[in-house]
Amino acid sequence: MNEINPVPFAFRLLAGLALLVLLVPVAIVVMAGLNSGEYLTFPPEGISLRWVKGFFVSPTFLPAFKLSFGLALVTTLVSTVLGTLAAVFLTRTRSRARELLRGLFILPVILPGVVLGLALYVFYIWTDIGLARSLTGLLIGHVLVTMPFVIATVTASLVDFDLSIEEAARALGATAAQAFVKVTLPNIASGITAGTIFAFIVSFGQFELTLFLSTPDLQTLPIAMYTSLRYAFEPTAAAAGIFAIFLVTVSTLLTSRLVNLKKMLRRR
Amino acid sequence: MAELTADRVWMRQRPAWLLPNMWWLVVPAILFIVLFFLIPVLSLFASSFDEASPGVLTFQGRLSWDNYERIFTRPLYYTAIFRSVWIGMAVSLICLVVGYPLAFVIARSMRPGVVTLLTILVLASMQLDMVIRLYGMMVLMGDRGLINSGLLALGLISEPLPLMYNAFGVILGLVQVTLPYMILSLIGTIRSIDPALEEAARSLGSSRWHVMRTITWPLSLPGVYAGTLLVFALAISSYVVPALMGGWKVITLPIHIYQQIAEVGRWQFGAAVAVVLFLTSLFAMALYILALRRNAGGRV
Repeated sequence: MNEINPVPFAFRLLAGLALLVLLVPVAIVVMAGLNSGEYLTFPPEGISLRWVKGFFVSPTFLPAFKLSFGLALVTTLVSTVLGTLAAVFLTRTRSRARELLRGLFILPVILPGVVLGLALYVFYIWTDIGLARSLTGLLIGHVLVTMPFVIATVTASLVDFDLSIEEAARALGATAAQAFVKVTLPNIASGITAGTIFAFIVSFGQFELTLFLSTPDLQTLPIAMYTSLRYAFEPTAAAAGIFAIFLVTVSTLLTSRLVNLKKMLRRR
Repeated sequence: MAELTADRVWMRQRPAWLLPNMWWLVVPAILFIVLFFLIPVLSLFASSFDEASPGVLTFQGRLSWDNYERIFTRPLYYTAIFRSVWIGMAVSLICLVVGYPLAFVIARSMRPGVVTLLTILVLASMQLDMVIRLYGMMVLMGDRGLINSGLLALGLISEPLPLMYNAFGVILGLVQVTLPYMILSLIGTIRSIDPALEEAARSLGSSRWHVMRTITWPLSLPGVYAGTLLVFALAISSYVVPALMGGWKVITLPIHIYQQIAEVGRWQFGAAVAVVLFLTSLFAMALYILALRRNAGGRV
């Protein structure tokens, strides 16, 4: 089928440029991680798994990858539970406080990450309740910045959900809890799953907030990579990056299966 | 639209059992936000009005404007504000010029496969850890990077081009990081423009560029405002991009904040810089929300 409104040539050119800007750095990380030399130069020196092997025995990157992965899993679990409950409330309440609450829940992502990180860092030290330089303290920060994504995605799927189905279940004798668990939950499951994937990815790549809350023995992958880039430039970091790229690609493909991309874009 | 309205009416007339006072659903999230967000952030902001006490993380309880006076009287700091702002504006503008065409292609392509593929590429690059993407940028643009080593090998230049560790590098790095947000902001608005308008103008003899300039572009303005302001707010708040691509030679507000706290230990002053940064990005965000409201015709 021919395009009804052909796209001007200059537009195609710039669109291609935009794609290059988005994708070339990612391609270079993959190349650097599979490169056989010390540094990725032109002409390239050949392909080897040297740095990938190096990643698996690395004293910094492997633990950092594991920490980021574990932290993201727990963060996702906590923010999915808190966020889903909040989203159910927000879509059903008649309370005037609704808009206020929506604003409150979105604030942590509007505030610059450096400011939030600093605020938490100072707060933990002031209160002195064992959160400073601890995994729990880091987890709290990650939940703060991932919860808005869960709330947004779950709210979107709840708005689409036809409440009369739940009403039918109630009319047929189900309790409120039964109707919710057996009818509503399965219907919004894809929205919740998409929210958990978003939360996982946001937590996994979180840098600016983590900067203030991590310690030398509590380094997430972005922090370990940042340190390497500032002082040494190890290709092992690129090898670690390959695994992260794989993780993100899979989860994005999953998200796109679960939610209607077009619908999500329209809602923005 | 009609569906949405019907939905709204139904929501309003819902029977009472659907909304038993279920405040307990939202209480955990509220408690969490108040305890770990509102209280820390507000006390941080309050502490920016406290007298400076280098290295000591306590409240002095002595009100003073010293920290703010320092920001606005020392060139070191207020030039950082200007630097952050102009870099943010440059990044927004470049993202708009480069991002608009791709958003247009995605919004208007008649081939669903192409649309899905492009959308996934944009989403995936947005979700990938920034530091990983910056690694790629640094390998590309460093003195011994791909571009410089390639040009040197071909004999086109005799000395490496200064592509990084300057404002140019910071801007390019920020464009890489924020471009997806621009594209996603634009796709929605462009898609909401009825293609029939463009077809009509075309069939009446307008050139493609004329149609673009007089119909598509003006109608997509709300998305343009929203995208540029969002990118601006993200760009001025970024710490990692100026730190890596600027090599600490391009000092922006977030870099100052980190330096004041982690290196000089002057944390009340760092808090004041944080307030200035927050207010600047809040201002951009307020404009963003206004633009969105106009975009949605009062539906948001």
